Amino acid sequence: MRSLDHLFEHSSRSLARRTSRRSLLASLGQLLTGAALLPLLPVDRGGRAWGSEAKPDSPESCEYWKYCAIDGFLCSCCGGTSSSCPPGTATSPITWIGTCHNPGDGRDYIVSYNDCCGKTSCGNCECNRNEREKPMYRPSRNNDLNWCMANADSNYHCSVSVILGVAEK
Amino acid sequence: MLSVLVHAAPPPLPAEHLSVQQLPPKSPHWVYVYDEAFDNEIDARVHLFDGDSYRRLGQIDAGFLPSVSVSPDGTTTAVATTYFARGSRGARTDVVEFTDNATLATTGEIVLPSKRAQTSPTIFNMGYSTDGHFLYAAYLTPAASFGVLDPARRAVLGEIDTAGCVLVIPWGANRVSSLCESGRLLTVTLDAQGHETARALSEPFFDPDRDPVFVQGVPTARGYAFLSFLGEVHELDLSGAQPAFAQPWSLLSPAEQGRWRPGADQVGAVHRGLGRLYVPMHQGGEGTHKDGGTEVWVFDMAAHRRLARWPMQAAGLSRVLAVQVSQDPAPILFAATDAADVAVFDALTGRLRHVEKHLGQTPWMMLNP
Repeated sequence: MRSLDHLFEHSSRSLARRTSRRSLLASLGQLLTGAALLPLLPVDRGGRAWGSEAKPDSPESCEYWKYCAIDGFLCSCCGGTSSSCPPGTATSPITWIGTCHNPGDGRDYIVSYNDCCGKTSCGNCECNRNEREKPMYRPSRNNDLNWCMANADSNYHCSVSVILGVAEK
Repeated sequence: MLSVLVHAAPPPLPAEHLSVQQLPPKSPHWVYVYDEAFDNEIDARVHLFDGDSYRRLGQIDAGFLPSVSVSPDGTTTAVATTYFARGSRGARTDVVEFTDNATLATTGEIVLPSKRAQTSPTIFNMGYSTDGHFLYAAYLTPAASFGVLDPARRAVLGEIDTAGCVLVIPWGANRVSSLCESGRLLTVTLDAQGHETARALSEPFFDPDRDPVFVQGVPTARGYAFLSFLGEVHELDLSGAQPAFAQPWSLLSPAEQGRWRPGADQVGAVHRGLGRLYVPMHQGGEGTHKDGGTEVWVFDMAAHRRLARWPMQAAGLSRVLAVQVSQDPAPILFAATDAADVAVFDALTGRLRHVEKHLGQTPWMMLNP
């Protein structure tokens, strides 16, 4: 599968060979900020992935297809939706992206895993899934990091998964 | 009749004097339990728990997404954390706080630049040099670097850029290694003032695409063991002048490969005297590396041989997310579960001694005293 996240990874590696990490990250930050002003991602959560009692096709369920590598509290259970932050929180200008399969239409989608920031953790519908997730030395693939880290208020509240487009086969 | 009853009653209880309990002498069977308090994450703590009396002995407050390290002499616990000026919001202050492990009183602090790595617990988020002279704190903004601190003088000595490599793996008096995206190890050497004098990049010691290693390294007698998602053991020897990598070996037989794998937040523990490795294992495929162990497997590290399989469900436990073993000749194994229980096992026989229910909210790492 030739997906956007693979392209992202390859371009990152190519950049890394030519530039220092700082300039690499600055470039990535500009890329992401300029492209979509995408928010953030969460912190760890161990193997706990129970979420609510919602059905698997509900955005309040950890089994919902868009959450295939999410790690945190589902904003859908915290006053937001699967693609919007709860009232009074802030999105973040950095994020990471991955690929999830939608069984409803059989397509793979590029999604961004974003964090909502500025309030303490929501505490509802904890969800930890890790498809294609990688450790912290590959930050563009890691869901342990607090992606609110660069916000003026880096407190972590909850996580969303936003569709960016269909993954190219 | 009433008079007889009154006379038969026991004497009244004596008046009590309010005091502060003192800790008993340190025991190798104590454990520091990192509780991220994930449901209310600005209020993490470290619980001191006694694996013999099964009592909580005290608590160290730890703020938001802390990094925790015990000094090499065991006298001090360092907690690097973040506070917000108005509790859950407001100006961010990153700080290392020092606790006297004999009293659990806070004894001092070092204010850091607001760069501290806010991530899941590992022993490499912060660490002391072998002689305790330096303390290193991992930074991530998300540019990667680390701070060099002087814990005695309570001072920040400087910051070292790590060119995208992350975390701090201290070794010797003046060396720090970091894990790189390429599977290499970056090693920075410092002078007595904490300034960089040299750096070196190793050859790749694992394949981050095919089989990444967990960043939760396990201290061994001569360095650290890094377990891979698929169950390979990469032993790193840091006893010489250069890092040395042993030939990897597998936790799994050919029949088990592809079916079983390690998985947890703290994914292994080693009794360094006995050379025994304890690993939470589960059955699962790609993406299950944080699912926690349904069994704990025990290995002879020298022989690369499995000694035992201990099913956790048989002990009434849910999945194991963290393990630690005491380092004494009669060791006990601590296993923290996704239900926040901490089980105490005889680490030689696997006999379950005790289950401490709900030891905090989210106990995801444990440290020896």
